[in-house]
Amino acid sequence: MTRWGMVIDLDRCTGCAACEVACKSENNIATVPSRQADMGRAISWMKVMTEVEGEFPNNTLQFYPRPCMHCDNPPCITVCPVRATYINDEGLVGQIYPRCIGCRYCANACPYTVKYFNWYGPEWSESERRHLNPDVSVRPKGVIEKCTFCHHRLQKAREAARAEGRVLREEDYQPACAEVCPTGAIVFGDLDNPNHRVAELKEDPRAMRLLEDLGTQPKVYYLRSRQ
Amino acid sequence: MSVTRREFVWTAGAAAAALAFQRGQDIFWTPPQLPDAGWDPGIESRLTSTCLLCPARCGLQGRTVDGRLVRIAGNRLHPMSKGGVCARGVAGVQMLYHPERIATPLQRIGPRGSGQWEAVEPEAALTLLADRLAALRDAGRPEGLALLAGYCAGTMQDLWRQFLATYGSPNYIADDYPDGTEQIAALMHGIPRRPAYDLEQSDLILSFGAPLFESWWSPVQAFAGFARPGDESGERPRLIQVDTRFSKTAARAHTWVGVRPQTHAVLALGIAYVLIRDQLYDVDFVARHVNGFEDFRDASGRLHEGYLSRVVRHYRPEEVSASTGVPIETITSLARALAASRRSVVIAGSDVMLSPNGLLAGLAVHSLNVLMGRINRPGGIAFGDDPPLAPVGPSRHVRLPRIGTMPPFGPGDPALEFATAVGRGEGPAVEALLLYYANPLASSTHPERWRDALDRIPFVVSLSPFMDETTQHVDLVLPDLLPYERWQDAPAPASYPYPVWGVTQPLVEPPPGGIHTGNAMLAVAARLGGAVAAGLPYEDFTVLLKARARGLFEARRGMILGDEFERTHHRQMEERGWWLPEHEEFEPFWDDLVQRGGWTDLLRDYTDPDRLAQTPSGKVELLPAELLRALAVDGGGRQPYVDVAGLPLEGDDAFPLRLLPYRVSTLASGTLALEPWLAEQPDILQHVPWVPWVEVHPDTARSFGLDDGTLVWVSSARGRYQARCKHYRGTAPGHVNAPYGLRHPDGALASPLQLLDGSADPLTGLLSWSSTFVRLERA
Amino acid sequence: MRADVRDKLASLPEDERVLLRPLVDTSPRFYMVAAVLAAVVVWGFVAYYLQVRYGLGRTGLNRPEYWGIYIICFVFFIGISHAGTLISAILRVSQAEWRRSITRSAELITVLVIGFGAIQPIIDLGRPDRLLNVVFHAQLRSPLLWDVISIGLYFTSCTIYLYVPLLPDLAIIRDSGIKAPRLYRFLAAGYQDTVVQRARLERVIAILSVAVIPIAISVHTIIGWIFAMTLRPMWHSTIFGPYFVIGAIHSGIAAILVAMVVLRRVYGLEHYFRAVHFDYLGKMLLILSCLWFYFTFAEHLTVLYGAEPAEMRTFWAKISGRYAVPFWTMVGGCFLVPFVLMARRATRTPAGVFIAGIAVVIGMWLERYNIVVPTSVNPIWEMEAIGRYLPSWIEISIMAGALAGFTLLYMVATKFVPIVSIWEIKEARAVVEEVAERVRRYSSGFTTPKLTDSA
Ligand SMILES: Nc1nc2c(c(=O)[nH]1)N[C@H]1C(S)=C(S)[C@@H](COP(=O)(O)OP(=O)(O)OC[C@H]3O[C@@H](n4cnc5c(=O)[nH]c(N)nc54)[C@H](O)[C@@H]3O)O[C@H]1N2
Ligand SMILES: Nc1nc2c(c(=O)[nH]1)N[C@H]1C(S)=C(S)[C@@H](COP(=O)(O)OP(=O)(O)OC[C@H]3O[C@@H](n4cnc5c(=O)[nH]c(N)nc54)[C@H](O)[C@@H]3O)O[C@H]1N2
Ligand code: SF4
Ligand code: SF4
Ligand code: SF4
Ligand code: SF4
Ligand code: SF4
Ligand SMILES: [Mo]
Repeated sequence: MTRWGMVIDLDRCTGCAACEVACKSENNIATVPSRQADMGRAISWMKVMTEVEGEFPNNTLQFYPRPCMHCDNPPCITVCPVRATYINDEGLVGQIYPRCIGCRYCANACPYTVKYFNWYGPEWSESERRHLNPDVSVRPKGVIEKCTFCHHRLQKAREAARAEGRVLREEDYQPACAEVCPTGAIVFGDLDNPNHRVAELKEDPRAMRLLEDLGTQPKVYYLRSRQ
Repeated sequence: MSVTRREFVWTAGAAAAALAFQRGQDIFWTPPQLPDAGWDPGIESRLTSTCLLCPARCGLQGRTVDGRLVRIAGNRLHPMSKGGVCARGVAGVQMLYHPERIATPLQRIGPRGSGQWEAVEPEAALTLLADRLAALRDAGRPEGLALLAGYCAGTMQDLWRQFLATYGSPNYIADDYPDGTEQIAALMHGIPRRPAYDLEQSDLILSFGAPLFESWWSPVQAFAGFARPGDESGERPRLIQVDTRFSKTAARAHTWVGVRPQTHAVLALGIAYVLIRDQLYDVDFVARHVNGFEDFRDASGRLHEGYLSRVVRHYRPEEVSASTGVPIETITSLARALAASRRSVVIAGSDVMLSPNGLLAGLAVHSLNVLMGRINRPGGIAFGDDPPLAPVGPSRHVRLPRIGTMPPFGPGDPALEFATAVGRGEGPAVEALLLYYANPLASSTHPERWRDALDRIPFVVSLSPFMDETTQHVDLVLPDLLPYERWQDAPAPASYPYPVWGVTQPLVEPPPGGIHTGNAMLAVAARLGGAVAAGLPYEDFTVLLKARARGLFEARRGMILGDEFERTHHRQMEERGWWLPEHEEFEPFWDDLVQRGGWTDLLRDYTDPDRLAQTPSGKVELLPAELLRALAVDGGGRQPYVDVAGLPLEGDDAFPLRLLPYRVSTLASGTLALEPWLAEQPDILQHVPWVPWVEVHPDTARSFGLDDGTLVWVSSARGRYQARCKHYRGTAPGHVNAPYGLRHPDGALASPLQLLDGSADPLTGLLSWSSTFVRLERA
Repeated sequence: MRADVRDKLASLPEDERVLLRPLVDTSPRFYMVAAVLAAVVVWGFVAYYLQVRYGLGRTGLNRPEYWGIYIICFVFFIGISHAGTLISAILRVSQAEWRRSITRSAELITVLVIGFGAIQPIIDLGRPDRLLNVVFHAQLRSPLLWDVISIGLYFTSCTIYLYVPLLPDLAIIRDSGIKAPRLYRFLAAGYQDTVVQRARLERVIAILSVAVIPIAISVHTIIGWIFAMTLRPMWHSTIFGPYFVIGAIHSGIAAILVAMVVLRRVYGLEHYFRAVHFDYLGKMLLILSCLWFYFTFAEHLTVLYGAEPAEMRTFWAKISGRYAVPFWTMVGGCFLVPFVLMARRATRTPAGVFIAGIAVVIGMWLERYNIVVPTSVNPIWEMEAIGRYLPSWIEISIMAGALAGFTLLYMVATKFVPIVSIWEIKEARAVVEEVAERVRRYSSGFTTPKLTDSA
């Protein structure tokens, strides 16, 4: 059984946020004006979370790049009144934008706060509209969106593999964030496939998942920092 | 019965409501914004290129669809960036499609700065420029032409130099990131070249204030070095960051050591003390390759105190600890860590040099590399070499003096010197100024001097594709193409130890009226005729690039970029003295080179004595004679390496807080506004979208009654700007960490650099960035 | 008032005369108040129009504060709706005689307020145009859908439950001919108050009043579950079902009391809303404020002992942090004020009840605020920053519009149906002896309870 998942090595991540921007670029995420951003309405499917502890000069900090966890037991999907968010049989948790009524219940149900709402319609200047990725739909106002594990890339990779008459390889399907990460901190693949790096990495003694005790069964694993 | 009636009413009502809603939807529902009509998957291509947004020059791959650039990712074949890119590199697509880019040449019609422009044909614009330059040359005043150029390593720089030299002007004014390390190398090693750092092979990186993961020379090089594979076998380097603030680099470092500003060198010498005391340094290397360690006599027979005595006499851990604020145990453990590692490297961040004692401080920090014998060794300091390119043209030298004065050991701020001299009417009259990658009205620490200078220059041309502050005040705009539309070469930054010649190729078609500055200058050269045309005999810039690449083709070394396996294979072959050409002909070589993104040579000769020192003695000079001489003449009683005492560590009542400017990693160019994706999250530690901020320790902020997020004026004796006050526990109390170059949403610049008090290192002329005191007031 | 109408009214028996007077006699003050309220309603519509036109961005909502005023009002209004039907049903089932004059006004509140409650989540939708997806793509696992169903059921049953006991009164109006004869002929649906009809009517009412109780309880339980089914700190709690029901009844009774005091004043119903009603309902309010306190206390105490970090952040934000003011105001409004006032017979007067009622209504609104906002702004994962919420004028306007709309509809309704059930009062008078006996006992405080009281 295919179960797509991610392993993020916190020991490598330098907090460069390239993953964030790559995700925004790949998935046509519009920016919001500064006042909106101040209100907490900026959208960032991938977000590098930080928390500084301690006092100068004894501070410590951990970066946590945070996409959607694509939980195996996702609390977000049971609450949706219209089935606009669902989990497919490969474990990807998706959104159906044209069906979502914008009640934001799923957003409240997600313990990882990864769901973003389109408070207004997305806006790009005329020239900037040219950099939109045609593989990914643009979300209208009033619906919820979140990281899709770059699902569109899987579809394309599948098609390509089928056209070439071969099986899908690990490197065929890599999400945008994993692709750019300059430290190789983000590893993506099929958790159930022993040939994929994630399958081995998730067994690492440093591996853990966020809020594991909630029983959401996230498919994003973190390797603890060695510091 | 009544129920049916009700039902009827209800059903009818509901139907009516549904209908009304259906109508209502058309009336007041704004349709979602969709991209251009004809939205379909389109024709896709992936092209290799090189990022030009900062000096790092990472390899990249652009994905285009129907001729539009939709994504930037890394080029896995690039030896330095290894497929990685940084956030700002990825956001480059938004720079390309920036709504405010200028696509066609503009000629001023109103008074300067009035914003009244007339679009002119590229040909006409070139004629205008060529005529003006021809007239100046024909009038016998070629030195009246000046160029102010930002960072442009590679063929563009060579082209400019060639152009000016053949034209007859000495005024190539570089504003290209001088950080003083070149001067250190020149003095200590006799090699006038910035040292490179072999992070890929180090096992310990000790960085003194170099923001490796934020700006520095190449964050991506640092990322790749830091996170290289092999961590299971203990191959990965430890990173120790000595810094004045809890920066992103400090946060990610294995150890971070907070120090007081301007005391990095003292700490370094404290470490040296322990190394010497405990005999932990590389005694053999010092004995064989180093001068100035023991006391010595100079040529005139005078006795000088050597490095050893100076360190032992002045930098006892107790004193060092008191001065730097670093505990004695930490000093000892840093020394032990250095001694325990086999492949350490010590990096002096530019801010070590950007202080009143900068050069001396830089020498002190670098002396640790010397003590540990880490010069031209794997994982240590390297002096790289340039790719063996064919020259642009016959070399030529202009004998006239450049405008502005020069400090004894360094570049100072040539742009500021130039502006000051021109503004005051000193030196030869400047009659034409070209601005290439330069926006001094925003980037200079003294924009007012630039304003005066510009007033005195009758003809100013900007080559910027953006209407930046300075471009608003020019006479002619000849906008360059953007990096994703043009051909250029992109040599790896000075920090990378191996020569890499990246190629930047157009990913998308340029706009109809756009001209590549390289092409523009070649065309102008052709029109000028004479020596200029003869010196630059190229049809266009691509021809020039190809001509230069012939040097690589003929060098019989190196390789076209390849993957990990190819690189290793190639290096091993070269180590054994084998080199086989991959291409018999130049054209296929060139095509392959462009397709793979460039050329590199990963062979290093660790035995070459010229890579260690080229001083007259052939040894590394810990106390260069030249320096001692300069200090004796004009040292103001200063001694190598640094005075522990006498640093102003406290402000006064009017300006109680010390300002420490730093650069955020998302800044794509010194003075250009951030792209929206970045502006929304310019720094992951601070989370202040869109608006510039300053970081203050919560206690300090509260003592001035400033809450987290308050908008404040940051003022020094020289000026002020607005920023948001962020409480941050990673700031030393009494300090203000100020990111530079950010802008408010309305475009207003927030520049702590324009608050600097102007104090400078008299030896290098580099401004001190950490000597200014400010106050914060609610705005 | 037209002369013929006045004559007709004058010719009616006393109860009819007094109780039907408001239907035909409208003071200028009524029109003034109605006009002001209507203006506020229009204002609310304008605000909603802007919200739909430009997007939910016009609210003060954000991430992680996804729910705000609308959801607060949703819970609040539905809570108020428990006033009527539930209480009147309980009282009917228990055959408490003193209920007779108050059920109508209470049931009317219910029916009118459910509508205003039910539209709140729709107002809150990002895509109200896709509302019907709830039908086309219904996912029954979603508590939101349970809510759609239970509220739908509740609304329907309450409407029937209001309408059926109205039939005799509608027939009285029709027969008196004082107002809109065709309308009332239609509404009365041929009811003639024959013995058979009356018997049937009472059977239906009896069945309905039993059926409506579990529905009412389910409605607010499910609203509580909407929150409880998420993992968010201080929402994920088993106590939420009953807690919400208790809170709903609490606010419901308070709302009835306020309405009764006002109606009594405005329409001169001193005869019908008597001391005994205020006394009894006041006692109920007292009991409920204690219950409310008990639940609130239990909820917070368990959180405190659980000491989950995420829960503690919300907890302290309420107890002593940014939400301390609304929290303690709520405790004052829901518990202290009603407790102090209702504990003493001397203050179980219309004035005392009015103050207590207002306090509880405000307190219960704040309770919903304190449930929705402090949790919303506080994500479970501690790396996520704590949010902030400041409602925009759009939200405030829509809330004002809804409140005004409800008040206006209620006012208008009093112009169409007698606010006290005429036939039930008359029925009571038929057993006047017994009633007189009981009233004596009610008004002399607690005497030995008789079995007949509840029988
Ligand atoms: N992201 C990005 N990178 C770039 C560029 C870019 O545009 N974007 N441009 C390039 C350019 S123009 C330049 S000049 C460089 C600038 O890069 P750097 O010269 O590295 O300058 P800053 O980033 O300002 O780094 C200043 C660092 O020094 C520390 N510091 C503060 N005070 C002192 C002190 O007294 N002593 C020491 N030793 N350290 C101190 C600060 O904490 C801060 O981390 O970056 C280059 N790299
Ligand atoms: N406010 C502020 N002042 C600064 C700095 C800062 O970060 N902020 N940094 C300081 C430092 S370290 C330095 S080195 C200097 C650097 O300052 P400058 O040398 O002025 O360099 P930049 O601001 O990076 O770029 C100048 C201009 O180049 C133009 N440009 C951008 N892309 C292109 C292109 O593709 N082609 C051409 N021809 N032009 C282009 C843009 O219009 C930009 O405004 O500034 C210093 N001063
Ligand atoms: S791109 Fe990689 S290193 Fe950079 S923040 Fe994301 S996970 Fe960390
Ligand atoms: S992280 Fe949140 S949105 Fe993603 S699957 Fe889990 S619960 Fe759903
Ligand atoms: S916001 Fe959309 S996806 Fe989320 S629960 Fe509501 S309808 Fe479902
Ligand atoms: S997997 Fe794709 S959608 Fe998810 S964070 Fe990474 S780039 Fe974004
Ligand atoms: S580090 Fe510099 S060259 Fe490399 S991707 Fe980032 S901006 Fe481009
Ligand atoms: Mo610079």
